Amino acid sequence: MGTIEDDPPVKFALPVDSDHKATVFRLFSFDKPHMRAFHLSWISFFSCFVSTFAAPPLIPIIRDNLNLTSTDVGNAGIASVSGAVFARLAMGTACDLFGPRLASSSLILLTAPAVLFFSAASSAASFLTLRFLIGFSLATFVSTQFWMSSMFSPSVVGTANGVAGGWGNLGGGFTQLIMPLIYAVIRDAGAVSFTAWRIAFFIPALFQIMTAYMVFFFAQDMPDGDFKSLKKRGEKPKDSLPSVLRGAMTNYRAWILALTYGYCFGVELTVDNVIAQYFYDRFNVNLHTAGLIAASFGMANLFSRPGGGILSDVVSRKFGMRGRLWTLWSVQTIGGVLCVLLGKVGSLSASITVMIAFSIFCQAACGLTFGVVPFVSRRSLGVVSGMTGGGGNVGAVVTQLLFFHGSKYSSETGITLMGIMIICCTLPILLIYFPQWGGMLWAPSAKNATEEDYYLSEWSVKEQENGYHKASLKFADNSRSERGKNSARATAPAQGESPLPL
Amino acid sequence: MAPALNASPSFLVVLLFAFLGFSSGNVLFSTLPRTLVVSASPQPGQVLKAGEDKITVTWSLNGTAPAGTDTSYKTVQLKLCYAPVSQVDRAWRKTKDDLAKDKTCTHLMGSRPYEGGNQTYEYLVQKDVPTASYFVRAYALDGSKVQVGFGQTTDKAKDTNLFEVEAITGRHASLDIAASCFSAFSVLSLAGFFMAEKRRGSHPTPSPVANM
Repeated sequence: MGTIEDDPPVKFALPVDSDHKATVFRLFSFDKPHMRAFHLSWISFFSCFVSTFAAPPLIPIIRDNLNLTSTDVGNAGIASVSGAVFARLAMGTACDLFGPRLASSSLILLTAPAVLFFSAASSAASFLTLRFLIGFSLATFVSTQFWMSSMFSPSVVGTANGVAGGWGNLGGGFTQLIMPLIYAVIRDAGAVSFTAWRIAFFIPALFQIMTAYMVFFFAQDMPDGDFKSLKKRGEKPKDSLPSVLRGAMTNYRAWILALTYGYCFGVELTVDNVIAQYFYDRFNVNLHTAGLIAASFGMANLFSRPGGGILSDVVSRKFGMRGRLWTLWSVQTIGGVLCVLLGKVGSLSASITVMIAFSIFCQAACGLTFGVVPFVSRRSLGVVSGMTGGGGNVGAVVTQLLFFHGSKYSSETGITLMGIMIICCTLPILLIYFPQWGGMLWAPSAKNATEEDYYLSEWSVKEQENGYHKASLKFADNSRSERGKNSARATAPAQGESPLPL
Repeated sequence: MAPALNASPSFLVVLLFAFLGFSSGNVLFSTLPRTLVVSASPQPGQVLKAGEDKITVTWSLNGTAPAGTDTSYKTVQLKLCYAPVSQVDRAWRKTKDDLAKDKTCTHLMGSRPYEGGNQTYEYLVQKDVPTASYFVRAYALDGSKVQVGFGQTTDKAKDTNLFEVEAITGRHASLDIAASCFSAFSVLSLAGFFMAEKRRGSHPTPSPVANM
C-alpha cells in the first residue's frame, strides 16, 4: 500500500519514532508539524474555555439584569457542562474519521454565535439555552488530546496531553480575571452596567473565531499530513465507524476512566462555575476580588495539569503503566481530601490556601488521567478520549445537580460532600488491568502477554490481512516502554509477534 | 433626680448602642429602635421605571420617641430594600440580623445630614436597579457611622405598601445587529473551510517520506 517516492526521507525538526511522532517535547518551538499543532490546539481549546466560563464571574450583574433565582443560576451552570457530554463523544468519533483540524475548527465556528448572542439574552430561559450551546465547545478538549496522541510518542504523550489540556483549561481561570476587567472598562467608558456585560461578551467570541482560522490554515492532522491527503495517498485506510465505536465501548478501562475523570475534571468544571459566587456571597468580597480568587483556581492549570502529565511520564520510565495508575489514584484521592477540607475552613485566607492546594491536586489528576488514556486503545483512540472527556462533563453535571442546585445545601456543605464523592469515585482505578503491563494490585500476566496481543486484538483477522493494523503494530512496539525499567520483562524480546507480514 | 430619671432610659439606650458599637462592631437590626417615620411617593403596587421615574422620600422623628433620642443622629441613609417576595431563592439578597452581613438593602438612594423636623429627598431610580418589589428604609447613623435607629415605609412583616421597579433590559439594537453579523461570518467561514478542503482533497499534498 502507498506509493514509492524518489524523495529522500523528510527531516522533521524534532526527533521522531517509527510513527513519525515526536519523541521530545520542546515547549518554545513552533516548528511544523508537531509543536505547531500543539500550540494551535491549546490556544483554540483555551478560547473555548474562556467563552464557556465567561458568564460565572459576571453572574452578580447578570442575575440582577435577567432577574434570575439561585435555581436559575444553578440550572444554567449544569446546562453549560451537560452539552459537552455527548459533544465530546461525537468529537472523538469525528476525530477518528475526519481528523482533529477540521473537527475542532468546525465546532469552534459553530459555537461562536452562542457567545455573540449572550448580548441579547433576556430571561432565565435564554440564558440557560446560551450557556448550554456554548458548553458544546468544550468538546475541543477531545480533539486536543487526540491530536497530541497523534503527534507525540508514548514516552512524551503524557506531557503533551497534560500541557495542552492544562493550558486550555487555563481559560477557565483566565476568564474569571478578564471578564470583570473588560466589564469594568466598558462600564467606566460610560455604558450602564446592564449593557456593559453584554458588550464584554464580544471579546471572547471574536477571539474564538480567530483561533478557528489559525487552526484551519496553519496546522495539520498528523505528522505526515492531513487526513484527507493521507487517505488519498492510501496511507490512512478509511475505518469503519461501528468497529471504532464498538472497540471503545467494549473496553471496560474506557468506562472506568470516564467515571474517574468526572471526579477530577468534572469537579474542576463545577468549581469554575460556583467558586466566584461562593467567595462573593460567603466572604463578602467584591466582584473583582471574587473573580481574582476564582481565577487562581483555574490558573493553577498553568503548571498543575502539565505537572500531572509530566509526572505520569516520569513515573512510567521506572514503573511503567503500574506507576501511572498508582500515581493517578493517589493524587486524585488527596485532591478529594483537600476538597473536604475546603468546605470546612471558615476564614478567607484559609479558604484560599486550601483551594489552591486542592486545585493543584485536582488538575494534576486530570493530567495523569490522560497519561493513561492513549494506551487504552489505538484503533478507537478518539472515541476513548471522547468517552473519558464526556465522563468528565457527566461528573460536573451530576455534582452540580446533587450539591449545588437550589438551596438544599449551603455551598460549604456542597463542597465537602463533593470531596467525599471524589474519594469514593476514584477507587475504581484499582480495577484497571493491562495483561501486558499489570494493574495497581496485580502484576502483568504470567502468560507473557504482549503489547501486540493487546493492540492487534482490536482488528479482525480479515482486517489484518488487508494491512489495516499497521499503525497499531508500530504503536505496540513504541509502547513497550510502559513495562517500566527493572522489570524482568523490560528487556525480554517481544514474544508472540504477529505472523502476518508487516 | 426626677428629670435625670426621665432622661435616663433613652440615654442608657444610646449608651448601650454606643457600647455595642465599640465592643462587637456589628449592629443587630433587631436591636434598632424604629424612631423615624418614613414615607415614599410610590403608591402600593406602582411600577417605576429604572432610569426614568423618581422616588420622593420624606422622613421625620417619630413623635412618640422620647426627647433627646435624636441627639446622636448625625446622618440619615436612605436605602431601597427588597421585599420578601423578591428574596425567595436568591441567597444574595438574604436578610440577616447582623447589619454588616445583611443584604436586604443593597441600593443606597442617598445620604443626608440629620436636621430634625421634616426632611425630603428626591431619588432617580438608577439604571442598575433590578426588577423586583421594594420598600424604602432610612437608617439614622451616629457620628461614627454606626446605625442607631431606623424607619421604613412598610410594616414589620414587610408585606404592605410595596412598590415595583421595572429594570432596563440593557439590550440595544446595535448589539443585536453586531451579534447577527459576526455569527453569519462565523458560519459562512465554516462553509468556506469545507469548500477549500474539498478542493484541497482532489490535489493531495505529496508524501513527505519515502515509503518502505
